[in-house]
Amino acid sequence: MSNGEYTDAPIYVAGAGIICAIGNNVGECITSFEQGTAGMGGMTYLNSLHKELPVAEVKHNNKELVVMAGMTASTSRTALLSCIAAREALSDAGIKNIDSLRSGFISANTVGGMDKSEHFFEAFAVDRNAGRLRNVNNHECGNITEMVAEQLNLRDQVTTISTACSSSANAIFYAARLIRHGLLDVAVAGGTDALTKFTLNGFNTLMILDKEYCRPFDDTRAGLNLGEGAGYVVLVSEKVAASLPHIYCRFSGYNNSNDAYHQTASSPDGTGSYLAMQGALKKAKLQPADIDYINLHGTGTQNNDNAEGTAITRLFAPHVPRMSSTKSFTGHTLGASGGIEAVFSALAVKHGYVYPNLRFEAPMKELQLTPETSFLKNAPLRHVLSNSFGFGGNCTSLIFSKA
Amino acid sequence: MAEQKHITAWCSIFDNKVVKNGTQLFDAKSVGINEFVVAVYKHLQVQYPKFYKMDNLSKLGWLATEVLLKDNFDKSSYAPTQVAVVLANANASLDSDLKYLESVKDGASPALFVYTLPNIVIGEICIRNGFKGENTFYITVHFDAAMIHRQVSETMDHKAAACICGWVDVLGEDYKAVLFLVETNKEGIPFSETNLKKLFESN
Repeated sequence: MSNGEYTDAPIYVAGAGIICAIGNNVGECITSFEQGTAGMGGMTYLNSLHKELPVAEVKHNNKELVVMAGMTASTSRTALLSCIAAREALSDAGIKNIDSLRSGFISANTVGGMDKSEHFFEAFAVDRNAGRLRNVNNHECGNITEMVAEQLNLRDQVTTISTACSSSANAIFYAARLIRHGLLDVAVAGGTDALTKFTLNGFNTLMILDKEYCRPFDDTRAGLNLGEGAGYVVLVSEKVAASLPHIYCRFSGYNNSNDAYHQTASSPDGTGSYLAMQGALKKAKLQPADIDYINLHGTGTQNNDNAEGTAITRLFAPHVPRMSSTKSFTGHTLGASGGIEAVFSALAVKHGYVYPNLRFEAPMKELQLTPETSFLKNAPLRHVLSNSFGFGGNCTSLIFSKA
Repeated sequence: MAEQKHITAWCSIFDNKVVKNGTQLFDAKSVGINEFVVAVYKHLQVQYPKFYKMDNLSKLGWLATEVLLKDNFDKSSYAPTQVAVVLANANASLDSDLKYLESVKDGASPALFVYTLPNIVIGEICIRNGFKGENTFYITVHFDAAMIHRQVSETMDHKAAACICGWVDVLGEDYKAVLFLVETNKEGIPFSETNLKKLFESN
């Protein structure tokens, strides 16, 4: 097949990697789900005045992450998390002849090297000749991706997508399109974001952070908890998939839609989310009744859950699939969330996992949607839908299907 | 082969005057920017209460677009995804950033915070008109006609059939907006770097 020629051939998920507040790898995350152990808590590593806000931190300081990632001591936490999760995904896929294939790294993030920039400005704000420039060198989102791509020796297509909370879901479907157009054989795709003062203060300004642990889709929900982490899937062409001992599932549908309603809010009737889910179903040539589990965007804010729930009701009622928000475990990892949740969704299809929605007590009055509250194994899941909706109305839905 | 592109309308809001296609439509002497933009809004006699919530950069870009498209732009002849917006300025959203920083002292304001990005003005224009085409905001020290010409040509040669492009800049009391409507297969001034530059400087 020549370059740039589109094909509808299936794309497969061949590997998965994660680091987040509930585990340093895929196995640890699943154990946390099984045990119902959430990742949020008091602030340990983030140096912020807002200690009253719970956050879902990766349970390691930068020094430890540097060792785990095998990168230099001055590396941004965003890149360290990315490297750890992307390497796990690659090694999980176990593609032996990867050097002879065209491989890409499509990685999303929203904070770039902001953690290091904040560190730089502490000194620089006091004295214009102070502060180490090496701390601002990799401020840009793209630099994070480039550094990790070099570590992992992924060279043929390296790019960064930054579209707020739908970033890594968009990275995954962009990667799939590169494969479908015959430009790549293998792509490590997903995203990363580290907690920073910048994001915490921004979300705090919008008054959408809950001082308690978040309660997605619950009537008493009062906001989200920020988290951090990275999540990647390894997408491969049909030809590469055939040479591998194991694959997770097929990546069958994707769509990005925008309701163009408000800078930081979804339209109340969930137009963007509805169009994204509907578009992904169409791409996968599926009907709503074919979806057996929805991994919700489910941030726990009034606005998101209401809009997302409205859109789900409109599209699926009266046969609403099982659903849950894994952000009740991981917090909202922003640019990483679509990648992390794509991994959870791929594992769900493969093993029949349905993840619990923690702290759910009462459905939203106006919607009557009840998420799953216990961890299920071996549920018969044919197709799983994963939602990632971002600021600016940037809504993305992905569908993972039994191979 | 790229289709013929023409500047079918242009508009400037600068020095307390609103000018469209070289003709002055409105002026309000010796008022500050805050009063001036509201005066222009009232002059246009449109109902869009959200206007009052916008920051000055968005107000300025929004008003310039209203004037630019009024009476000569047939929205129904384009699909929403066929209309692109390419804007640039020198001061990004610094005007709102500084106001936001000031507000942090008494509890940060979410209403100001959402305007602390320059491309929000594009969002306001697109929300108003239902445009869903490609959009980009560039920060350049001066109006760079070559860059605007290149970027607009790029998007119009591939996707967009119409594009609103130009300059929208605000910092304190200093402001300037010069917008161009570029369309394919319509009468107008040939879309070129030279003509962009000439029209920009004539304002």
